[in-house]
Amino acid sequence: MDEWDYQPTADFDKTPLEKLSTFPRQPDMFVYGVRYVLHLFVRVWMRIYHRFRIVGREHLPLDRPFALIANHASHLDAITLLSALPLAQIQRAYPAAAKDYFFTTMPTIAFSAIVMNAMPFDRKENPRDSLALCRELLETPGHVLIIFPEGTRSPNGELGAFKPGIGFLTAGSNIAVVPCFLDGAFRAWPKGAFIPRPRKLTLRIGEPMTFAELAPDKEGARMVAGRLRDAVVSLERESLRGIES
Amino acid sequence: MQTIHIYLIIAGSVLAVAGLTIAILKWGLKKNAEHAWHAFRGWLIMIPLVIGAILLGRTATIIFFGIVAIAGFTEFARATGLYRDWLITGWVYLGIAGITIVTLISPPGETLIGWYGMFMALPVYVVAGILLMPILRDKTKGQLQLIALGIVGFIYIGWMFGHLAFLANGRNAAGAILFLLFSVPLCDVAAFTFGKMFGRNKMRPNISPNKTWEGSFGALLVGMALPWIFRFSLEGFGTRELILAGLIVGVGSQLGDLSISVIKRDIGIKDMGALIEGHGGVLDRIDSLVYVAPLFFHMTRYFVGLA
Repeated sequence: MDEWDYQPTADFDKTPLEKLSTFPRQPDMFVYGVRYVLHLFVRVWMRIYHRFRIVGREHLPLDRPFALIANHASHLDAITLLSALPLAQIQRAYPAAAKDYFFTTMPTIAFSAIVMNAMPFDRKENPRDSLALCRELLETPGHVLIIFPEGTRSPNGELGAFKPGIGFLTAGSNIAVVPCFLDGAFRAWPKGAFIPRPRKLTLRIGEPMTFAELAPDKEGARMVAGRLRDAVVSLERESLRGIES
Repeated sequence: MQTIHIYLIIAGSVLAVAGLTIAILKWGLKKNAEHAWHAFRGWLIMIPLVIGAILLGRTATIIFFGIVAIAGFTEFARATGLYRDWLITGWVYLGIAGITIVTLISPPGETLIGWYGMFMALPVYVVAGILLMPILRDKTKGQLQLIALGIVGFIYIGWMFGHLAFLANGRNAAGAILFLLFSVPLCDVAAFTFGKMFGRNKMRPNISPNKTWEGSFGALLVGMALPWIFRFSLEGFGTRELILAGLIVGVGSQLGDLSISVIKRDIGIKDMGALIEGHGGVLDRIDSLVYVAPLFFHMTRYFVGLA
């Protein structure tokens, strides 16, 4: 008779906090359940409190993995982008979040991992490993990676320069990147405000882009960052003019 | 003085003495007491939690043990890989929740505390449900393993351990539960101490290489003595019941320990989890209780009666 083949889950011998701070996290029924219910509430709250509207949702290439990128002006951004995805997708949609900021204390780790499903991005010590992890995610069917290429929240709501990280992931590959422009988040929750204000939020989703023709090097990466920024800027202009997709 | 107060005093004194001893070893004599220190910190959290639940009353106690069972089964499912099967794992979770609920409620139309009939019948429905899962999926490969793991997980960790919670419905709830909670770890300590002092002959070298017959005998001796020492908390127990309780605790706690070791050795892991500092997982802590609780429950119910 064949021996039974036990395959303990990768995190069986970890403490709850270790389970939440390692990545990729193993699927956990309770975490999935809590996240699902919370996101249901978030969606209702977004619709009512922020009159959240999505333009261009049909551009999301839901049949393959993709990176969702957007301008970054407030702590509302990631949850807003997650709310633009189908609810069934949130268990496999990961906002890349600074490890040194979002994965330090127990409450922030619990919030980042359970509610946001964030991927801890180690921008200080091991950006290379983190990028490799991102690439792995983007090669696995069904996954969505949410990245803010500015790297930090804009202090005044204006679009900042794009860091080339997203370019290293996508230059010379067929990975789709979907540029978005989120309007209203800065007014709703600027840096320093205690709670979000009931301002209108509009997310404009652009067409997916690929960068297979670019060289996977520094130069290519910089070009990707530039083109993506241009795409976000033109979405911003559409937004200003109030064009419906 | 109420039973629970006596246990509170015992727990407090044991913790104080243990803490003091470890502190002297660690900071006074600069000995390496890391392991003991971590285990002590684990106890420092566990003991107030358990006693707090019992002090809060029947409902809190039952729900507390229900949560412990859920945590224990989760560890079992993760360690064996059963967890990847969300249908069976989820069904067993429902089963454990069901055990907790029927322990809490009364039978329809009756005033008894705890629905004993359904408590005993529930495993039938849970097992029937587990057997249904491969049929729903129309799959055969590897299914026996999943079914078997699901059934062991529910029966052993959900239902057998669930007897400890059902004890909360008895007339002498706190006394019986606290007796088990205190005597089972004391047997572990006895096995360890006797093993260290006199241990020569290995008992089950393949399962648990550190356990010796001498340690086991010591645990049995202490186990037999414990019901007499804690007699104040075992209402209605005569000589026969005290001897039986001693045998159940003295032998059962060791068998419970060994059973979880068999599972761990077969899988090839050291601890079932890491939830409790210095103790490993929940299952590593309650391994003996899982075995002892149902045996003690049915002995008590048969000879003394619960209500």
